[in-house]
Amino acid sequence: MSDTFTCVRCGLVVVTLAPGDARRNHCPSCLSSRHTIDHVDGGPSDCEGRMAPLSIAVQRDGSWSLVHRCTRCRELALHPTAPDDNQLILMRLAVRPLAEPPFPLDVFSTL
Amino acid sequence: MPRRRTPPGRTQRRKDVRHRTGAGSGDAFRCVGCRLGVPVVAPGTAHRNHCPSCLASRHVDGRVPGDRASPCGGRMVAVSLSTRPDGEWQLVHQCTACGVLKLNRVAGDDNALALVRLAVRPLADRGLGRRALREL
Repeated sequence: MSDTFTCVRCGLVVVTLAPGDARRNHCPSCLSSRHTIDHVDGGPSDCEGRMAPLSIAVQRDGSWSLVHRCTRCRELALHPTAPDDNQLILMRLAVRPLAEPPFPLDVFSTL
Repeated sequence: MPRRRTPPGRTQRRKDVRHRTGAGSGDAFRCVGCRLGVPVVAPGTAHRNHCPSCLASRHVDGRVPGDRASPCGGRMVAVSLSTRPDGEWQLVHQCTACGVLKLNRVAGDDNALALVRLAVRPLADRGLGRRALREL
């Protein structure tokens, strides 16, 4: 089964089937998604807001997952990244906390 | 490196949920990860929900932070760090029992080593992180 969806942010028509036998829920170009599943109670959600990529979570097996946050109702969602996702945005999310540390990172050089 | 001053624009979300007062609740909680006794008052945050030592939390809230509406009660582990537009770090917690995600600001006394380990985790992975850096 292979259907398509249109990205709510950049308008790209995306095939749901990702390389590697996985299904994708976000646009590979801008990594935006759409809020269709209710992650707190389960089942479908009627929010339909745009979900912006928030951060990268590393699973136990070392694979990356993308944390999305709905721009309308602020709900969070987790979905694995696809191999053809935009590497620039992924790296930008990954290095973002280290670029703005709340404390000086120099002390860790002495550990 | 001087400590960044927080811009005056953004204030913390107001806490309008009343917690029970009396014995057994209110001013401290026991960490479900490392059994550390944690006082609720912390420097830098009014909404401490995680252990400053191991960053573990507990799934008690429903949709609104502080509403204590969830019956789950599972242990929540910190899976990721995100940054606010003003540069503050936020922890993303995932419940180990039901998989739900929560967001909470880091407190001033949170374990800096645990935070940095979480921050470098995507880059420490030798597969995806390195490959992505090379392809840029």
